[in-house]
Amino acid sequence: MRGRNGRNLPVYIGMVVPALSIFLFIVAYPIIYSFWLSLTDFNPNRGGEWNFVGIAQYAKMFNDPNFWHALKNNLIVVGVSVFGQIPLGFGLAYILFRKHVRASGFFQSMLFLPHFLSTIVIGILWKRMFQADGPVSTLLQYLSGDPSAQFTLMLRAETVMYPIGFALIWIYTGLYMVIFLANLQKLDKEMLEAAQIDGASEFQIFMRVVVPALSGTILVSSILAIAGSLRGFDLIYSITTQGLQRNNAMVLPIFMYQTAFQDFNNDSRFAYGAAISNAIILISVSLIIISNIIGKRLKAGEEN
Amino acid sequence: MKRFILVLMVLALVVPAFAAGQKEAAPGQIVVKTMAYGDNSNPEGVNWVRIVDAFHKANPGIKIDYELLYDEAYHQKVAARLASGDVPHLAYMGADARWGAPWKEASQQFDHRPFIDGKVFDLNLIPPMGPKNEIFVLPLGTSNITTVLYMNEALVKSLGFAEPKTYEDLVAMVPKAKAAGLEVVSIDGADGWAWGSCYMSAIIARLSGDANWVSKAVAGQYKFTDQVFVDSLAMITRMVKDGVIAEKSVLVDYGANLSTFSNKKALFVVQGQWAAGSIDPAVADTTKMLAWPKLPGEKPAMAGSVAAAIQVGYGLTKAGAADAKVRDAALKFMMYFYSVEETTLRLREGAIVAPILKNYQVPADLPLIVKQKVSLAQSAKNTDVIDAFLGGAANDALNAGMQKIVTGAATPAQVAAEVEKLLRK
Repeated sequence: MRGRNGRNLPVYIGMVVPALSIFLFIVAYPIIYSFWLSLTDFNPNRGGEWNFVGIAQYAKMFNDPNFWHALKNNLIVVGVSVFGQIPLGFGLAYILFRKHVRASGFFQSMLFLPHFLSTIVIGILWKRMFQADGPVSTLLQYLSGDPSAQFTLMLRAETVMYPIGFALIWIYTGLYMVIFLANLQKLDKEMLEAAQIDGASEFQIFMRVVVPALSGTILVSSILAIAGSLRGFDLIYSITTQGLQRNNAMVLPIFMYQTAFQDFNNDSRFAYGAAISNAIILISVSLIIISNIIGKRLKAGEEN
Repeated sequence: MKRFILVLMVLALVVPAFAAGQKEAAPGQIVVKTMAYGDNSNPEGVNWVRIVDAFHKANPGIKIDYELLYDEAYHQKVAARLASGDVPHLAYMGADARWGAPWKEASQQFDHRPFIDGKVFDLNLIPPMGPKNEIFVLPLGTSNITTVLYMNEALVKSLGFAEPKTYEDLVAMVPKAKAAGLEVVSIDGADGWAWGSCYMSAIIARLSGDANWVSKAVAGQYKFTDQVFVDSLAMITRMVKDGVIAEKSVLVDYGANLSTFSNKKALFVVQGQWAAGSIDPAVADTTKMLAWPKLPGEKPAMAGSVAAAIQVGYGLTKAGAADAKVRDAALKFMMYFYSVEETTLRLREGAIVAPILKNYQVPADLPLIVKQKVSLAQSAKNTDVIDAFLGGAANDALNAGMQKIVTGAATPAQVAAEVEKLLRK
């Protein structure tokens, strides 16, 4: 058997099949299984019996206030990532690239340092920062002169995402800074010098030359940020304590975990959990498609 | 060169397979698939590894093929293994809503009664766990008290007070304690479960006068919207208002709570009996383990009561019991695990209240706090622990609701209504 270009087809098949099999088994199969599961009331712990329930799990999900609460929090995380971490990372990378600060290597290392730490460790660290009479509360007591002052933003649903957003920026800004810094190195320095000679200010160089040139990097970073934000579980789980704080800060992956693995009162908890998982995938894909459309309209990614 | 690379690649694939094979059971060995509880940094985990190694040396024909996990990781893996059909033969489990629910749901609870040796275990100390008085698990010890009020006696005396007999005695300590920069009763209020397990489980029994109010409410005999439960929730507001419990307690987690007590910054701490081993030894020597003093509106029948649940332990699953050889091997290991020596070690380390072994002689040289624990277990009336009966979303709503009451974000009536709604849903 020979292929179009005269090579041996079995060799091609032999090379493709192992990777394809692994992909189908560990990526495609769980997605298809999860979609099927979400259309049933199947609970593997209750034997093999199941009923097809159509979109009942999805209808239940849309009527569940916890879903909307978790979705809102997830979108806040996406917002913090796309409109917080990326611009900050870009700005810091530009400052380092243009050598506007001394010891740029030191700042680069310090900003990237949180990324070397385990997310769980970071979560516990920030939890300690926010606890009663912890460092943040002590600072508040010092500034306000009130020895009983406490940092209570973690206790209210409407404010819990502020400290968490701050922690997210602290962790991930360094990553985007490194990505942008690496791409900035590829820029034609003569182009920047030409702009400077033409009398462009630093801000104009940044906005008119650098940003358009790195629009593709911004788009890729946005996609990374969106995908990462929607599957984010570890930081929020570890930075909050079980109960009010975690309920306040609940995001879709935590909602899915608590539903599928902890709510033993719900007979079809695995199927409901699968519906929530599929919603995460759909929302993630939708946001990435929107990013791509915006990127195309802005002609992002054409710098290469 | 190509052949050399090919050989290397083949070796890279084959060697790990053989290496993995070396860890497998030897031919003829009986394998007991086990889910154990602990990690490599805590006494439970360290002792587990030591016991299994010793058992393997003494019983080369049996292999305890275990997975050692702790806390949430354990619960998550139990759910995953049961769902995937990879049911262990032997596992750390309980019989209540938290520790028993996954095994019950998967119909893997096995009645051990025909296999429990009455000459070794005191059957009177092992409570029935199922509707037909089944025993699904061999508890590590007698009932697990969850609502202990630990008192730093030296600190209380230093302020001129004695052991409180009534709630008003606690309130009387507030001004002096505040002036000294001390908390009266510290609780890890940032952990939702602490409010349910370690606090409210005692309060509802005291105010209702019914030791089994919670289980009856879950069964439908009472409602969580009943006035007595709303009043019990309102006790939180009262204690915070009186300064007995600090409002900031909702920002204190388990570790910080015990640290507060160990650092002599609180007169009392509320926790389960298991926390006794985590108190600084110097403070533990002056610590008394008490039940809550008489509360306002308390019914005399429940005076001095504490909430207690059946302690968790190891149990066979139905999958493990299905094969007589595996079952007997697992039971042999359990006898090893629950030996007098190992049980005494658990008692000394504060992991259990009291052993379930028959004719067990309590060593005279036990640490003072362990003796206190045994004394409390022997004297106090036991009542329901909330999360032993109330699970899922209703329990979560109750725990978070009590935290909201502390912060003023919800009223007792609102929390009670939410719990009742979610329970009957």
